[in-house]
Amino acid sequence: MTDLARAAVPHSRPHRRSRRTPITWVRGGGLTTLIFLLPMLLLFGAFSWYPIARTVIMSLQHTNLVQPATWVGLDNFRTVLHDPLLPKAVENTAEFAGLALIFGYPIPLIAAVLMSEVRRFRGIYSALAYLPVVIPPVVAVLLWKTFYDANSTGVFNTILGWIHLGPYPWLQSQRTALPSLVLESTWANAGGTVIIYLAALTGVRRELYEAASVDGASLWRKVWHITLPQLRGVLLVTMILQIIGTAQVFLEPYLFTSGGPANSTLTVLLLIYNYAFGNSLGGDYGSATALSLMLAAFLAVFSLLYLRATRSWSTS
Amino acid sequence: MVAFPVPLRRRRERAVAEGQALITTADWHRPAVRWGIGSAQLLLLVGLVIVGLGPLLWLAKSAITPTTDTITHPMSLFPHGAAWSNLREAWSNVNVGRYFWNTIVIAFGSWLSQIVVATTAGFALSVLRPKYARILTALLLTTLFVPLVVLLVPLYVEIVHPPLIHHSFIDSYWAVWLPAGASAFNVVLMQRFFDNLPREIFEAARIDGAGPFRLFWSVVLPMSKPILGVVSVFAVLASWKDFLWPLLVITNPDRQPLSVRLPTIQSQTELGIFLAAMFIACLVPIAGFLIFQRSFLRGPGLSGAIKG
Amino acid sequence: MKSTRRATTVTVAVASLLVLCASSIPSAAAKSGSTNAASAVTISVASLIPGSTQAAIDQFNAQVGEFVKANPKIHVKSVEYQWTGPTFAAKLAAGTLPTVFTVPFTDARTLGDNGQLADLTKEVKALPYFKKFNPAVLAEGTSSHSKIVALPTAAYAQALHYNRSLFSQAGLDPNKPPTTWAQLEADAKQIAQKTGKAGYVQMAKDDNTAGWILTTQVYALGGRMETGSGTKAIATLNNPQTVTALNILKKMRWTDNSMGNNFDYGWSDINQAFAAGTVGMYISGSDVYTNLVSASNIDPNIYGLATIPLAKSKKAGVLGGGTLAAVKPTANAAERAAAVKWINFFYEQPLISKAQAIRNAQTLVDGKQPVGVPALPIFNKAQYDLANSWIKPYTNVPQAQMKPFTTGIFNQKLIPEPAASTQSVYHSLDAVVEAVLTDKNANIQQMLAQANSTAQDLISRGT
Repeated sequence: MTDLARAAVPHSRPHRRSRRTPITWVRGGGLTTLIFLLPMLLLFGAFSWYPIARTVIMSLQHTNLVQPATWVGLDNFRTVLHDPLLPKAVENTAEFAGLALIFGYPIPLIAAVLMSEVRRFRGIYSALAYLPVVIPPVVAVLLWKTFYDANSTGVFNTILGWIHLGPYPWLQSQRTALPSLVLESTWANAGGTVIIYLAALTGVRRELYEAASVDGASLWRKVWHITLPQLRGVLLVTMILQIIGTAQVFLEPYLFTSGGPANSTLTVLLLIYNYAFGNSLGGDYGSATALSLMLAAFLAVFSLLYLRATRSWSTS
Repeated sequence: MVAFPVPLRRRRERAVAEGQALITTADWHRPAVRWGIGSAQLLLLVGLVIVGLGPLLWLAKSAITPTTDTITHPMSLFPHGAAWSNLREAWSNVNVGRYFWNTIVIAFGSWLSQIVVATTAGFALSVLRPKYARILTALLLTTLFVPLVVLLVPLYVEIVHPPLIHHSFIDSYWAVWLPAGASAFNVVLMQRFFDNLPREIFEAARIDGAGPFRLFWSVVLPMSKPILGVVSVFAVLASWKDFLWPLLVITNPDRQPLSVRLPTIQSQTELGIFLAAMFIACLVPIAGFLIFQRSFLRGPGLSGAIKG
Repeated sequence: MKSTRRATTVTVAVASLLVLCASSIPSAAAKSGSTNAASAVTISVASLIPGSTQAAIDQFNAQVGEFVKANPKIHVKSVEYQWTGPTFAAKLAAGTLPTVFTVPFTDARTLGDNGQLADLTKEVKALPYFKKFNPAVLAEGTSSHSKIVALPTAAYAQALHYNRSLFSQAGLDPNKPPTTWAQLEADAKQIAQKTGKAGYVQMAKDDNTAGWILTTQVYALGGRMETGSGTKAIATLNNPQTVTALNILKKMRWTDNSMGNNFDYGWSDINQAFAAGTVGMYISGSDVYTNLVSASNIDPNIYGLATIPLAKSKKAGVLGGGTLAAVKPTANAAERAAAVKWINFFYEQPLISKAQAIRNAQTLVDGKQPVGVPALPIFNKAQYDLANSWIKPYTNVPQAQMKPFTTGIFNQKLIPEPAASTQSVYHSLDAVVEAVLTDKNANIQQMLAQANSTAQDLISRGT
């Protein structure tokens, strides 16, 4: 019986176990608890647990929603592994995640450290940093698509033209398309990371800095030996979250380049989408779910390895 | 250093109290530090203005610039005057208003769905504490580790051919509202918060004769305003940003939110008008942000959530 | 116990709410078709593509009004619609297509074979002009079990669209569009050099349009993408003419620099760019003038239409395609009958009945929409000429500027699109086109071999 229910039933004697019948369960507050849990159970059951089970099932079937599904064992996995587009997609996704880490990880940290020491108008700094995050991502992508116009009269090419650089092909070249996507993605998301770091920085105990000052530590040493270690937990969590997030990037490749030019911006998620929704005659849901499972398994293993490797460094 | 004006000292002390700690007041007196860090901060501010505000200002300017000017001289300021008609046409022809309204309706429903699930489940798991709470929490946590991509296809198939009800939910907003509620993150957040509430208050309420519903509605919820705020902001932002899922399940153009509609009409719409439509699409989130940013960015809820 | 009673009350309340919700769901959206006892039928029909101008929408509604007046027992709902490779399948699976929708020639037969289109044989055979259909065109809408699952509504041939104003500015004669590929390359180069605008652009988007235009070029040079039919067809994507076509593109892009700076054009954006005056020439269907007017408000004076240059080969020809109107498989008999009536009224009558043709043209003119856009016959040629003569007084498109096409097209051999897994074949070629245009050192032979094996695989699987 629940804590509360026991308290609410004045006649029960805690040391005498009554028979557990449906009535005692209801009386004991079990029904109330169930009612409270009902929204979660229903929604999670229908839209979380059931789909997870279905993914596994569908990856072992050949489904196209028109004819009944047939069991094909590991065929879908074999098809996906033999798809010449798969290595390209994996490579692109890894490149995206890697570049995003290089551009989008240190910069927010440096900005946050600088911002945390601002004496006045810190609100303006945070507001400006977070502003790109507030813009709907679709608008951000479409806006940057205009910026990336490869003509010399495109916005970026015009600006770069002022300092005699360019014009650059941006999205029109296989080599520059993916970095262009990463650039926009960093712009749109870095603000959130800055705010998280800022909040975490307020948790660093002042006494540590004061003690270090007394010991004569320079600014740089204070950052390296106090700030960073204190932020360790947050830093590690944001890194793994960013990696998991960028591994599933879809919006930018879909809206900017549809995976082009020549599949140079094709990511794993876009490949899954193409399997499921790309064929005008009906989707190959088996391959789509097989690839999603493979991606999920990879991320799970990666996270486990990551957690194990960073356990020794983390303070919490 | 004989007589600093008292207000100055107080101001400096206040600044330190707000979390500035790395650079002590002694450090600030050193000119090397003051000029070095100061100029770095100024540089940062300028950078933030250009990078954070710049694109938006360009969008605002181009929304009222004739298309040909935007294409040929994107960085010049109104060489041939402004074209306010862009905004008018975006509103009436492109019908931004309707898609905007759709976005709001979807966001509201998703928010409600998430709040209901998170508060009730968090309450049950944290306060009522049934025997099977551990199993449920474990099930919840596993979904946290399942990336969204895994759910995409079966969820879509489920919406198209729901198992018991033989009617597709495509084009119905329920297809967006209901799955949004299944967010383990929110439930865990709520549960953690409720765990930290003082149990004495519950005892007191129970002694006063409050049943679980009363406890939930009149005691726990009012005390949870900060975390409700945080979850709400996350929920609304997530709904606003949502693209792939509404793209898949809402195919009727009349019911699509802005995020889905805008890309579809891009190649049929003149650039100037299109930019005007995008500008209008930004107004509410930006306005909302400017109004609420104080409480959100600095509030206790967020730090609590992050530390948790 | 108070709390138990309250708990039970709440449970009952919630349960009844659920029952209410569940019962409201089936009746909530019986949108796309229903028949009630008073024998009024409701059907939904595909109208215009998203983003069309208000004038185009009004004109369409006027036509709907006319139909409803003549058929009071039929209610018609118009639904925005655009067939694209990626989005069609999703709508089909979800059942959210309107009762009457259109599909290209390429997909209809497979869809019919899979039971995804309603069988219209009975209703179609009852049409008075049934025997006048061009058999080859009608075959596109007939499944392999000889069931008619879709009616041809329009046929087109690929054509070369060119900007007369840019031609003049570059010093070229706008009345003499290129007639050979060498000439086309030279003209493109001249336009690029003299005006700074792209001389020639080509669709290169990943949504099958890149492969579609490349196939057009290959046909024009005398090559074919497939031999045989059905799942036994053999893919011949890497034939010599494909290599030639890609080398032409490579030369124009990298040596002549006459293709501008953007290489991700799809069907809609290439029209948009052309209407904006930034493109000298491009290849697309002969009927895109309608879209140029309705979506982009093109200045009619700049528009020129010509035939695609053909190589001097017996096999060289122009790719032809078309659109068919089909009906959802879940439509009942009354809806099917109403749907065929609509198809008859909206798509066929303007081509077969003088009165309707004239009324149709009048409505279009009133709505400032183009009348007389060049199309290919879906009935026999005699009927085609006759229909054109009816609407001659209403023609408001710059016909003189379209003469190179209208006079030349009937001398060109019309070749249907590759029959087996058409969209998949196009899709395999998308990446090759994009690579040639974005990578100077793209290995054409290797990419074509890859594309060929991918396409062959898909053909054998019947997708």
